[in-house]
Amino acid sequence: MKISEKILENISTLSKIKIDDELKPKLIKDLESILIMVDQMNEINTDDIEAMSHPIDDAQNLRKDEANKNIDRDAYQECAPAIDDGFYLTPKVLEQND
Amino acid sequence: MTDLTSLSLLEQLEGLKNKKFSSEELTSVYLKKINIENKDLNCFISINESALKHAKESDKKIANGKGAVLEGIPIAHKDIFCIENQRTTCGSKMLDNFISPYSSTVYEKLSSSGAITLGKTNMDEFAMGSSNETSYFGSVKNPLSKDRVPGGSSGGSASAVSAGLCSFATGTDTGGSIRQPAAFCGITGIKPTYGRVSRWGMIAFASSLDQGGIFAKNALDASLALENISGFDSKDSTSINKKFPSLFMEALEKKIDHIVGIPKSIIKNIKDEKVKKNFEDSINILKKLGIKTKEIDLPYIEYSLPVYYVIAPAECSANLSRYDGVRFGYRCQNPVDLEDLYSRSRAEGFGDEVKKRILIGTYCLSAGYYDAYYIKAQKIRNLIKQSFSSAFKEVSSIVMPTCANVSFKLDSIQSPVEMYEQDIYTIPANLAGLPALSIPSGEIDNLPLGIQFLGNYLEEGNILNIANKFQEETDFHM
Repeated sequence: MKISEKILENISTLSKIKIDDELKPKLIKDLESILIMVDQMNEINTDDIEAMSHPIDDAQNLRKDEANKNIDRDAYQECAPAIDDGFYLTPKVLEQND
Repeated sequence: MTDLTSLSLLEQLEGLKNKKFSSEELTSVYLKKINIENKDLNCFISINESALKHAKESDKKIANGKGAVLEGIPIAHKDIFCIENQRTTCGSKMLDNFISPYSSTVYEKLSSSGAITLGKTNMDEFAMGSSNETSYFGSVKNPLSKDRVPGGSSGGSASAVSAGLCSFATGTDTGGSIRQPAAFCGITGIKPTYGRVSRWGMIAFASSLDQGGIFAKNALDASLALENISGFDSKDSTSINKKFPSLFMEALEKKIDHIVGIPKSIIKNIKDEKVKKNFEDSINILKKLGIKTKEIDLPYIEYSLPVYYVIAPAECSANLSRYDGVRFGYRCQNPVDLEDLYSRSRAEGFGDEVKKRILIGTYCLSAGYYDAYYIKAQKIRNLIKQSFSSAFKEVSSIVMPTCANVSFKLDSIQSPVEMYEQDIYTIPANLAGLPALSIPSGEIDNLPLGIQFLGNYLEEGNILNIANKFQEETDFHM
């Protein structure tokens, strides 16, 4: 499988990871070598096989849908890089048109 | 005077109970040793400043006859387990300054069992690596040969137990991250059945594969430690809601009718003659112990590596999307807009291996490739699981080498695929969710090798029992 610069740019955008130009050739080489190894999967016919997403068959043990006080907003927001009065701060998303 | 750090967990518990030494003395010996040896080994990222205070509290409980099962035992936690109000880095710049607001269930359980936390151990960044060389905090050295790797991703925990810097340590295993470092460092490491140990507060890499476990000096120590982190947790919906028998008692049991399966295809393909010889010698030890062996087929097992390198990166790309520079973790300087904030925080906060895996996972999950990669891998994962199910109709456990080689020199492997092949024998157990452990099986040129036992679902007791019998017969372990 060939990874073009265009494909790399697409997955970089989807992953939200900026990739510097000088790192691209090595990254493309590494990703291609991984995909060549992964392509061994095509040796197996899996037409009638069910996909398995999880190693245990048991139904998930869900707790009751009740509110609890496990989450303390203020304690959790102490880890945030920038907050104000309970809100997370980010660069402006919407511009105001006057 | 006996070196207290050379004692096994069971011997230390006995010593504490009989007042031969106190937890304060024991903890103090470990802290002094860490202070000297960690400068070189780099196996700890942080040291718990309250360890001695906790040890003194444990001594009071022991004196009052109120000590819990592991009261006063100094241990280490892989820095993937959150501890409330303590730094938890996961080996990454992304979480360099992260102080966790809550504790993992594994930490809570060991803490309430009386164990003293000495510190948090170094690891490959977000548990992605097989050599501990991807850590933001630098490589860890193998205490048995300091120009070599301890294995990964739980390399810090393995190095710490092997160097006698803690009684036992926690680790996590997504594709071999407990068993491969255990083999490289000459110690015992167990990854339990998926769901036996709660993943709450254990930072996620690949959720359908990740499982917490134990590094210890021997199988009996490991059984007691694992018993104390096991159990249903309502905070982890994938934890198994069953009562488990005592693993320690199962490990000790004298007579169990073991039939150990030897997978023909794996044995045929061992390339290194010395590894092959060591494996054959180990089989002969089993036979000498009166344990029956049987050659078995394990079809599709050779496809475990490609399957894993689709599923693990796919799950990692989803799990690591939470690191956005907004809610917690690293944030880049002066972002010009939200897109710049996300993409630069993640580019600067993650190391190369983590970025590579997120990109591969994103590619495999993207439109047009999802069926060809992700669904295809899930289908073969099912075939591998069925292959094990068939084998366990004939045998009660399966044996194979833990690794294809001994520990390698630092910075000696540059190719990603060559590094991934380190886990060729350990990945199948994660794909199927089975319990597996590695114990030392001898040496090649003074470097330890490991042998691996895989059990059927929730049959950790079975493989711990074999491991204990093996260790009663041999002196390869600590």
